[in-house]
Amino acid sequence: MAQIFHRSMNSLARITVFGLPLLFAGSVLGGTIIYRSGYITGEREVVDQPVPFSHKHHVGELGIDCRYCHTSVETSGFAGIPPTKTCMNCHQQMWAGSEMLGVVRESYKLNQSIPWERVHNLPRYAYFNHSIHIAKGVGCKSCHGEVDKMSLTYQDNSLLMEWCLKCHRDPEAHLRPKEEVFSMKWKPEDMTNPETGNPYTQRELGKVLKAKYGVRDPLTLTSCSICHR
Amino acid sequence: MAVTTDVATPAEPAGTEQWVGLEELADTPAFQEMLHREFPEDATAWADPVSRRQFIALAGASVALAGAGCWSPRPASPEKIYPYVRQPEQMTLGLPLFFATGFTVGGVCSGVLAKSREGRPIKLEGNPSHPSSAGAIDAITQASLLNLYDPDRSRLNLKTGIPTGFDNALAEIRTALLKLRGQPGKEIRLLTDTIGSPALGGLILEEFQKAFPTAKWVQYEPAHRDNAREGGRLVYGEHVNTSYDFTKALRVLSLDADFLTCMPGSVRYSRDFNQNRNTHLKEGDKVPTAAQLNRLYVVESMLTPTGAVADHRLPMRSADVEAFARAVARGLGVAAAGDTPAPAGAAEWIAPIVKDLQAFRGRSVVVAGDHQPPAVHALAHAMNAALGNIGTTVFNFSPAEVRPGNQTTEFKELVKDMNAGSVAVLIMIGVNPVFTSPADINFEAALDRVALKIHMGSHVDETATLCDYHLNEAHYLETWGDGRGHDGTASLCQPLIAPLFNGHSPLELIAGIIPDRPTEAPTNPREIVKAFWRKNWPANGGSTNNFDAQWQRALQEGVIPNSARPRFEKQPDPAGIPAYTAPAAGLEVNFRVDPTVYDGRYANNGWLQELPKPITKLTWDNAIIVSPNTANAKGLNVKTQSTGGGEHGRQVADVAELTVGDKKVRAAVWIQPGHADDSITFHFGYGRQKCGRVGQNTGFNSYAVRSSDAPWNKVGVQLTGTGDTYILASTQAHFRMEGRRPVRRGTRDEYEQNLAKHKEDPSVALFAKAPSVAAPEWQEIDETVPGSPNEWKGEKPKEHKHSHDKPGEEKKEDHGHHDDRLIPLSIVPATNKEGRRWAMAIDLTACHGCNACVTACMAENNIPVVGKKEVTRGREMHWIRVDRYYEGKDPNDAANLITHFQPVPCQQCEKAPCEVVCPVAATVHSFDGLNDMVYNRCVGTRYCSNNCPYKVRRFNFLTFADFKTDTYKLMRNPEVTVRERGVMEKCTYCVQRIRAAEIEAERQGRPIRDGEVVTSCQAACPAGAIVFGDLGDPKSRVNVWKQQPTNYGLLAELNTMPRTTYLAAVRNPNPDMPKSKGA
Repeated sequence: MAQIFHRSMNSLARITVFGLPLLFAGSVLGGTIIYRSGYITGEREVVDQPVPFSHKHHVGELGIDCRYCHTSVETSGFAGIPPTKTCMNCHQQMWAGSEMLGVVRESYKLNQSIPWERVHNLPRYAYFNHSIHIAKGVGCKSCHGEVDKMSLTYQDNSLLMEWCLKCHRDPEAHLRPKEEVFSMKWKPEDMTNPETGNPYTQRELGKVLKAKYGVRDPLTLTSCSICHR
Repeated sequence: MAVTTDVATPAEPAGTEQWVGLEELADTPAFQEMLHREFPEDATAWADPVSRRQFIALAGASVALAGAGCWSPRPASPEKIYPYVRQPEQMTLGLPLFFATGFTVGGVCSGVLAKSREGRPIKLEGNPSHPSSAGAIDAITQASLLNLYDPDRSRLNLKTGIPTGFDNALAEIRTALLKLRGQPGKEIRLLTDTIGSPALGGLILEEFQKAFPTAKWVQYEPAHRDNAREGGRLVYGEHVNTSYDFTKALRVLSLDADFLTCMPGSVRYSRDFNQNRNTHLKEGDKVPTAAQLNRLYVVESMLTPTGAVADHRLPMRSADVEAFARAVARGLGVAAAGDTPAPAGAAEWIAPIVKDLQAFRGRSVVVAGDHQPPAVHALAHAMNAALGNIGTTVFNFSPAEVRPGNQTTEFKELVKDMNAGSVAVLIMIGVNPVFTSPADINFEAALDRVALKIHMGSHVDETATLCDYHLNEAHYLETWGDGRGHDGTASLCQPLIAPLFNGHSPLELIAGIIPDRPTEAPTNPREIVKAFWRKNWPANGGSTNNFDAQWQRALQEGVIPNSARPRFEKQPDPAGIPAYTAPAAGLEVNFRVDPTVYDGRYANNGWLQELPKPITKLTWDNAIIVSPNTANAKGLNVKTQSTGGGEHGRQVADVAELTVGDKKVRAAVWIQPGHADDSITFHFGYGRQKCGRVGQNTGFNSYAVRSSDAPWNKVGVQLTGTGDTYILASTQAHFRMEGRRPVRRGTRDEYEQNLAKHKEDPSVALFAKAPSVAAPEWQEIDETVPGSPNEWKGEKPKEHKHSHDKPGEEKKEDHGHHDDRLIPLSIVPATNKEGRRWAMAIDLTACHGCNACVTACMAENNIPVVGKKEVTRGREMHWIRVDRYYEGKDPNDAANLITHFQPVPCQQCEKAPCEVVCPVAATVHSFDGLNDMVYNRCVGTRYCSNNCPYKVRRFNFLTFADFKTDTYKLMRNPEVTVRERGVMEKCTYCVQRIRAAEIEAERQGRPIRDGEVVTSCQAACPAGAIVFGDLGDPKSRVNVWKQQPTNYGLLAELNTMPRTTYLAAVRNPNPDMPKSKGA
């Protein structure tokens, strides 16, 4: 009986048998990498704003507290975007004629909102509440990154559900004393562990603070309706 | 070991199973087949070729749209933030604010707290400080929120159909009015509905009338209270309003009065009435005595919510109620009642009722329905006086309305003048007489003879289109106003939002057309109201004399202190009771206000249209309602129809022609068990021609056969079949319980008797239960119910007791054929018994099926309206439904029919059957025992719904939520996801409220207080029938309720361990009555 397939088909068959699963695995891997990449999540991507507001200048250099503008961060789910009035408190006197602030002055004069682009867009179905995170000792920096170094604001983390859950499953890794929540400079090593006399590690301090602030257990914090309603 | 018996269920008469509709009782094979189809809801769309084609077209279009919308692969779509330029002071973005205001219907204002998020009113709650609300809210008030966002609302002021400015229109009208001065025979008329607003009334009486001395102000609305008014005048010689204190009333006789749902103050009455109906054990372990509990006797034609919860209900023609009232009055010693014999079949009711009422002198109430003739109201006043109730449970006071009067007479005079051509200008505010005027008055023709016709209203309706000017009226949440509650307490109404469509207040209209007003007189509604109250503030209305401080305080509270109308203790003079004229025999028709769309003014409100009416469970239509006997006699029928798909909501009703005098109307027939024979009930408000896209052409116009002489009741009408049929959408056949006796009920006496036995041996049941399994098994079932007194908390099954286990003998290893399935065999892991365990208890004794919970749930949880067609397919989306069950051997025996209501939200089972079948874990348990529903995980397999024994899950078969209409976007609760097509949804115990309270408490580092989380249905419930709380807190109210022996879990025999439980309906019938209902 004559051979149906040429000998070279053997290698082709081998390539197919071993190659296809590799290709599949590769595309799955590639897909997950792309899905988690900044291209999809918008991580570290500067968003164009109507006014090139610099947190670096206002927070890092001038040392204005977060709460001067984000007034409702301790009481409400929404941290609050300052009304134009807040900008004008200072800019009526300083840089009053600056070209860059034309949009702000216009807004104040015409009583029309400044159309800011939202930097942190949460997926639908997810309900995030700032106030409870602040109350339990999660620092601004934990999610928003080093805002005091951002000339233009960007999203510092992926905001994927797995990123949220990382902390909800293990809050110790991110807790800090309540009075340091708004600090951009705080480090656990700056504090001394009274038990050992050595500087705190984040994990040691996290454990102490978790008990102190009554941060709930991972089973509770990962219940669906904690974030989805 | 205690000896137990096999007889767990008290002996029950055969044939008294609970049923929801006549077809279920008849139990035909076709019906059975329909019932047992597994997923009947979605078949027609595919069976019907047109809709299948449409479906494919739609599917194609949505794929295209999905492609267009998904240009970004990002999980979240980019948004913009528009902050305030100058942020209002009290507002914290992300947190709600509540403002006290008031909703007025029929001249009666009830206080509400409107919830505002970022300046948008999104929910209404009752105002606890307001006497007409007491913190609760009824369905119509709740749904008035949707009216604000109605996209069909009038958006422009029109002059002969052409847009014009409001100020221009006012200037033109003012000039026109000025020209008429001093011209006899060219009169000005003002037509409004009942005005309860003191400020508007003051403006009309003090300024408008002075400026135009010959002008006349006429009030007319179809749901007028002329009869009550005339009845009061007969015995008091002057106008009185009457209010009742049901907290003190222990025996109540209702003469055709639906005082729990359809009367001024009914929300408050319902709350008060249930205070004395509470069968919770007293002093630790005693069942309240028959004298401690109240007892309600109802005589009525149509089965109403009040009649349904009555201890004794006697159906009779509405026209015969007067004879009944006279017989009772005679028994109570009211000589002027005459010697009229009681109507046939009612004679033996009189003596026991009289005896019972007399035993509770000063602690009883006789209340007459608004539609009963004046004589009945006069008799009720006389009876209350004879019983010493006036001043203790019944209060008379000067009318709360600005100008009480006989509206029918006034309206007839107005039309006479219009026809005579003497009316030159007619100004109509908030009325739609072209639609609502009685059939014997041709208002349209009369209107044609008026030179200048001005209409102010929220919609361009039937009347507006015939007028020269249509002025756009602002919604009550958009403008200032005031009003008086059912007891005359005044409240201020403040706006929450600037008028969405530039509407204006009637105050602005009246103030704007008065010529030569002094320049300092206020024209803005806030200033008008403030100026009025500055002058008329009650002398002792507040702790300070500073008006501005008092005003601010009253705005905050929603109530002006000490502003109730003065009461008078004057006794009625029975001499005023007119002589009796017997009604003719034969068929009567009763016109009634619709429980959802009222007199038609809410016809364009989708929430109300789709709300199943309390008794009939009809949606989107009204019908000619008759008893089964009457329907039989006339050869009329209503069938539940299935087109092969087995839809549940499709009722094919015969169309009948109703002839009243020379007027005729054709309408669908509805057969209502419990309705009096020879009687028809026909609700107002349907058959609107111009009201917007929702209410257009729904139902049948009953005004077409209503005459001004017999506005409520007419004897001697004809009803004939036409051979046509009409499809009605009724939810009564949906989600049925297949004869499992879902409502446990009993009498107080039965409860007391069985409780003693139950204490000795817990396996003795208190009330009849189903299925009737052996007693020990029931004991075990009851013990699986979370929060119940004997709740099973261990891991191993309890030792079983069996009738064949002899006392003292060793337990045998082999039990033979014994069903051991209850506790040990469960694949569902045990739920966390530590920490917070949210749970709900619903008292079936209190629930009277008013539907306030359903609308409150719709508003809170962004529940969409699906439309009549989808309701006929069983696809309505209500997360909580109120099941209505009948019990009785013979549906034709209306007097012995028992009715029960059972609100069914998700039962939040601890062992939830839905969870184990979900392939994507879209429904899972939370740490605090909620059966969470995760919309973003749901792929729409519907397995969960299939496996839910309570049928409380709802599936978005189509895109039911309206994502397109801008105004609806403003209305939605931002804390709750708006669900899309293909997603399952259900009640979550208002998880958004739980989490908000939790965050608040956690932030303050304290536990959640009992009562801090109130679900939307609980907050709304006028009867206070719902309690919600934490089972982990032994002192919580919900725990106290669940410790009651009456507590039971619905279908608990399935071992679902429901967190929502029910307290059995306990009634307090009079043993002396001939037919003890519930006995």
